[in-house]
Amino acid sequence: MKEFYKKLSDILEIDNIEDSDTLRDFEYWDSLTVLSILAMLDSELLISLTVEELDECITAKDLYLMVEGKR
Amino acid sequence: MSNPKKYTLITGASSGIGREISIKLSANCNLILHGRNLKRLEETKRMCNGNNHILWSCDLGSDLSISEELTHLITSNRILVSNFIHCAGIVTVMHARSITSITSNKIMNINFTSAMVITSTLLKKTINQQELKNVIFMSSIWSKFGARGYSLYCASKGALDSAMRALAIELAPVVRVNSVLLGAINTPMSEKSFLDAEIMQNINNQYPLGVGKTDDVACMVEFLLSSDSRWMTGQQIILDGGRSINMSSK
Repeated sequence: MKEFYKKLSDILEIDNIEDSDTLRDFEYWDSLTVLSILAMLDSELLISLTVEELDECITAKDLYLMVEGKR
Repeated sequence: MSNPKKYTLITGASSGIGREISIKLSANCNLILHGRNLKRLEETKRMCNGNNHILWSCDLGSDLSISEELTHLITSNRILVSNFIHCAGIVTVMHARSITSITSNKIMNINFTSAMVITSTLLKKTINQQELKNVIFMSSIWSKFGARGYSLYCASKGALDSAMRALAIELAPVVRVNSVLLGAINTPMSEKSFLDAEIMQNINNQYPLGVGKTDDVACMVEFLLSSDSRWMTGQQIILDGGRSINMSSK
């Protein structure tokens, strides 16, 4: 989880991420952020997620669980 | 002693476009199939016609001995390479503010520098006996246009196309050098993103002839390797179903 949140915080340019953080509330959350996250998951974790699947995630933990479910 | 067999080198042959080109050309050419993953290269080989194809597993993103490995492969198999098709490539999508020298070097190494090193190796008389006749780079319409998050990718394909033109002049009339600038092609990799209804709708609106097939690319490569295209060199050939000339708002 720590490693995943580190990668996510690099993309979002923030110091740390909490489980309960709402993804869409991050200052740098936009359509390009979504593409960047999908590209990072694909190239670094070999996990493929669709935009629709990512849209279902509300909090950082939702996204983490979605990614873990794909491993 | 028999004459060395002539080969066509295809990088990125383990999947998608590179694999389709390999299968198509295997009917008439001996192939060096390059890729990172040996298992997937073996799959490509099984899908090809003929038994003389050689596998070359090498990571173009980090391997510093590309030239040495290729030289060894050519000399130890006693072959010569007539055609080089560079299909290996990665796409990086990131905010400009997230770019680092590591991400930049990686994409430039795979998409551009490796193509230069391989071309250089194949031009050496001591290694390839002036056998090289044809070089084709798989580029992208993003070489000519921009998109958010694609600065490194656009730059790597732009570098490839600029080098292509200079090489075409330097190596004429012996070697012809061209780029094929692709739009969206349906591959196992892209299929995943096409599953999104929104992306699919956008693509349908943007591509007058729809999304391309890997065979569309293979047909173009076959033409560029043939004598039918003997008067073509130094060209950015756009193969994009009309995407780049579509100015419609919807």
